[in-house]
Parts: sequence; C-alpha cells; structure tokens
Amino acid sequence: MGGHDAGTQHQFTGIAKYFNSYTITGRRNCVLATYASIAAIVLFFKLKPKKQKAVTAS
Amino acid sequence: MILSFFDQFMSPTWLGVPLIALALTLPWIMYPTPSSRWLNNRLLTLQGWFINRFTQQLLLPLNLPGHKWALIFTSLMIFLITLNLLGLLPYTFTPTTQLSLNMGLALPLWLATVIIGLRNQPTAALGHLLPEGTPTLLIPVLIIIETISLFIRPLALGVRLTANLTAGHLLIQLIATAVFVLLPLMPAVAILTATVLFLLTLLEVAVAMIQAYVFVLLLSLYLQENI
Repeated sequence: MGGHDAGTQHQFTGIAKYFNSYTITGRRNCVLATYASIAAIVLFFKLKPKKQKAVTAS
Repeated sequence: MILSFFDQFMSPTWLGVPLIALALTLPWIMYPTPSSRWLNNRLLTLQGWFINRFTQQLLLPLNLPGHKWALIFTSLMIFLITLNLLGLLPYTFTPTTQLSLNMGLALPLWLATVIIGLRNQPTAALGHLLPEGTPTLLIPVLIIIETISLFIRPLALGVRLTANLTAGHLLIQLIATAVFVLLPLMPAVAILTATVLFLLTLLEVAVAMIQAYVFVLLLSLYLQENI
C-alpha cells in the first residue's frame, strides 16, 4: 500500500527538512506542531479579555 | 417479582454478600497445579503444551523487551477464555459481561503500552500518529484523526468484549424463551427454533474463545508499536 521507503533517500531542504511526512523526525515534528497550534488556539480563546458593551444613556 | 431479560447480567449476591470475587476466582480451580515431575499426566502435558504454543505464537512479532509481557498476556488470555466459556453454562454469571471489569483490564494495559512508548522511544511513538507519505494539506487532519483513534482504543477494547458477550447471552436467552413458549403452540416451529438455538450456542462458544484471543492480540499489537 504505497511505496515504503526508509525515508533516508529523501533530501529535504528548507522547512521540509524539519516538517515532512516521510522521516520519523519529520512526522514527529508535524505532530508536535499540530498539538502546539491547537494548544495555542485554545489558550488564545481562554485568555481573550471579554468585551463589555458600553452602557448607552436612554 | 417480574424477571427481565437483563437479570442474568446482575452481579450475583447471596444474602446481601456480593459473590463477584468468587465468580472471578473460579477459573483458578479449573486448572491443575503444575507438578515437579518431568513427565506429567495427560492433562498437565496438554495444559503446558497449549500455554507454551500460545505464548510462542503471540510473542513471535514482538522484539526481546516485549517478551517481558509473556506472563501477563498468557494469564490474561487464560483468564478471559475460562470466564467466557464458563459463562455459557446455564444460569452461570459471566463477569466479562460487566463493562467495569473489561474497562478495568483494557485501560491500564493500553495506558501502559502508551507510556512505555513515550518513555523509551518518544520520537517513534509520536511519529506513529502521522502515517508515512501523507499529503501536506492532510497532515493536521490526519494527526487529529489518529489521536482520536489512539484514545478510542481502550474504549473499543472494553466495549468489544462486553458487547459481544452480552449480545450473545441475550440472544441465547431470547431464543430459548421463544422455543419454550412455542412448544405447546407450534411444535414444528419450536423444533426449528431449537435448531437455531443449537447453532447459536456453537457460535457463542467460538465467539467466547475468539473475543478473549482478540483482546490479548490487540494489546500485543499496541505493545509492538511502542516497545
């Protein structure tokens, strides 16, 4: 099912060297990056200050 | 007192004393104690042969550090297969129909494999969450899916065993009731239903053995990934 290469034949350059889906470290970095992004989004919405509506004079 | 079809799954008590501990230790008395003789009697030889063969087959795909799990896997297999088969006797309580027991077996063992993987080879353990060769756009989606499937594993392990055994016992009781009710009314149909009941009981014997094996096999597979 799909070509199984050892991942060692790939010569990645740039960001693909660290984040790719072929080498085991590349896959690990992708996983960690995804978890970090999800944590960042959750933290962002938790720590966002709640806006209070200004009271208008009636 | 109105009996419902689910009374067979109630944890047994006698005069208020819970008997679940007795039900769980029953497999212990079913097996002969190993003796210190070189050549044992037929039963012991057969038991030893079965245990050795099973352990050998199960540990085949595991590397050397995984062989530490031989005792727990084999004893778990024998425990489950005995409980399942004993439960097929009429009016016998089957502890493996209780989700609490199956989750109590599945969750700690699964968690152990995950922790071993993260501790001994964290890169490989985390890298397994992304299948090799995934297209770039699909990477985050697949990581989320694989994480969900990782956490579903203990639930699936426990519920698979519970559901299979509960459904089987329930079916047997329902069809047996149908035979009993139909016998004075339509004897021919009752005999047909009795044949169905016989075939179902044979199926349940197979399911009892297969489900115990599948439980242990899946745990060994999860261990393979992580050890």
